[in-house]
Amino acid sequence: MAKILIVDDEEHIRFLYSEELTDEGFDVITADSGEGLLERIENEKPDLVILDIKMVDYNGLDLLQDIRNKYYDLPVILCTAYDTFKEDMKSIAADFYVIKSFDLTELKNKIKKALETSLPKT
Amino acid sequence: MTDQIIEENPQNITEAEMVVAIPSYREAGLIAHPTTQAAQGLKRYFADRKYVLINCDNDSDDGTKEAFFGAETDGVPQIYLSTPPGVRGKGNNFHNLFRKVVQLKAKAVVVVDADLKSITPQWIKHLGEPLFNDFGYVAPLYVRHKYDGTITNSIAYPLTRALYGRRVRQPIGGDFGFSGDLARIYLASPSWSEAVRHFGIDIWMTTLAMTNNVPICQAYMGRPKIHKPKDPGSDLGPMFSQVVGTILHLMLQSTGYWMRVKWSRPTAIFGFGLGEVEMPPPVKVNQDKLAEKFSAGFKQQHGLWAKILSESIMNKVDEIEHLPPEQFDFPVQLWAKVLFDYALAYRDKVVEEEELLSSLIPLYFGKTLSFVRKTERMSVQQAEEFIENECMVFEETKPYLLERWDS
Repeated sequence: MAKILIVDDEEHIRFLYSEELTDEGFDVITADSGEGLLERIENEKPDLVILDIKMVDYNGLDLLQDIRNKYYDLPVILCTAYDTFKEDMKSIAADFYVIKSFDLTELKNKIKKALETSLPKT
Repeated sequence: MTDQIIEENPQNITEAEMVVAIPSYREAGLIAHPTTQAAQGLKRYFADRKYVLINCDNDSDDGTKEAFFGAETDGVPQIYLSTPPGVRGKGNNFHNLFRKVVQLKAKAVVVVDADLKSITPQWIKHLGEPLFNDFGYVAPLYVRHKYDGTITNSIAYPLTRALYGRRVRQPIGGDFGFSGDLARIYLASPSWSEAVRHFGIDIWMTTLAMTNNVPICQAYMGRPKIHKPKDPGSDLGPMFSQVVGTILHLMLQSTGYWMRVKWSRPTAIFGFGLGEVEMPPPVKVNQDKLAEKFSAGFKQQHGLWAKILSESIMNKVDEIEHLPPEQFDFPVQLWAKVLFDYALAYRDKVVEEEELLSSLIPLYFGKTLSFVRKTERMSVQQAEEFIENECMVFEETKPYLLERWDS
């Protein structure tokens, strides 16, 4: 069972995503901010991170850079209410992005694709 | 390939940790600027390391060597390397460079184009620094006009991404960094072909970095690449055949690798914090010329295309040619399948290599025309998203290639 870390400062989003993704069979853990995110990843070893871009105290694109510098094989899906973030080239370090919606079909498809991605090791 | 290197090494440099190399052929008018900027970058950001600037040239007869040595470098040592008289090819210059890099025991090598007008000293920092931090290959990341680099946008980027699973946006960018260890891998590679000795060298280097699982990052350059851009409808010269031929040749050599790749992954990004993004200058496109070349190619190459393309793909190309001009559309999924069919024809030697690659050019013009039509009202950023979506289609179409390759 793949473990997914949801990082979002909106409680209802964490709740919605957790419920739906748990129903899909994922092991879901959550964080309400970017504080201590790298330690959390180090300790909990998620298979994928869903990262909100605009949090009150954290910029998700900066957090994405931190994750990429240390765990460049860890899939990250950016999640946002607005698509203007794509103007920032930092966003290309993400595997995928989704616009926040109550219909999680697209998010689930992207999760599936990100977890299926395989590159030869040798 | 000739093993003879002409060398001028006035400061008798025998060791260097860091090399900045500028490949050239007849660039006397432009090479001084990147040379000076590179020297400033070395002095400012790599002051604690031994470094050297190298011009690797094709024995230019226009004074390139003199312009290189005459550039203001504030004491940064310089070496001039050249192929023997009459031996051309960017790849031959790189072969000389790799040998020199190994001799100098360099840890990091940064390469910048000789016709670069927008280079700053920070480019040297951004392309070089990751090589001292666990990365073995650094590709450039800069904003380019939507119609600058159409071979990259419609072939090199989507195809390498779908095949090898790494998202390197500028796989033939011309400005990049690589480690001394990777130079040894390049030098020892058995895959030096005639095309690699020429313009195939950039895609060859990027692909070998991927298939050798070298840690890759992309370095953000901050400024757009400003060089000598070309109208995508103008003559392609030998570059098209050399780049595409190298991609197809590498597919044969790395089948065991790319067949195991599913989807793709982004790379790490290095070098943000350069302030506001500068927009690139516009590149004009002659749409009429693209349409004419596609139609002329349809008439001239139809028989050949029928041998190369599968029946269903050939039928779709026929449909496109018969569309009213204002409705012209070359769908990306069809384009991906055309390229995959060409890869199979290359493998099976359906026709001579040169003939095969030449016959792809009119189809490429058709695809380029379709891209221009669809993106003409888009901003550079919107066109970039459009290209990303096309890459996804390439990845989703890859099973077509796998199935045909195996059957």
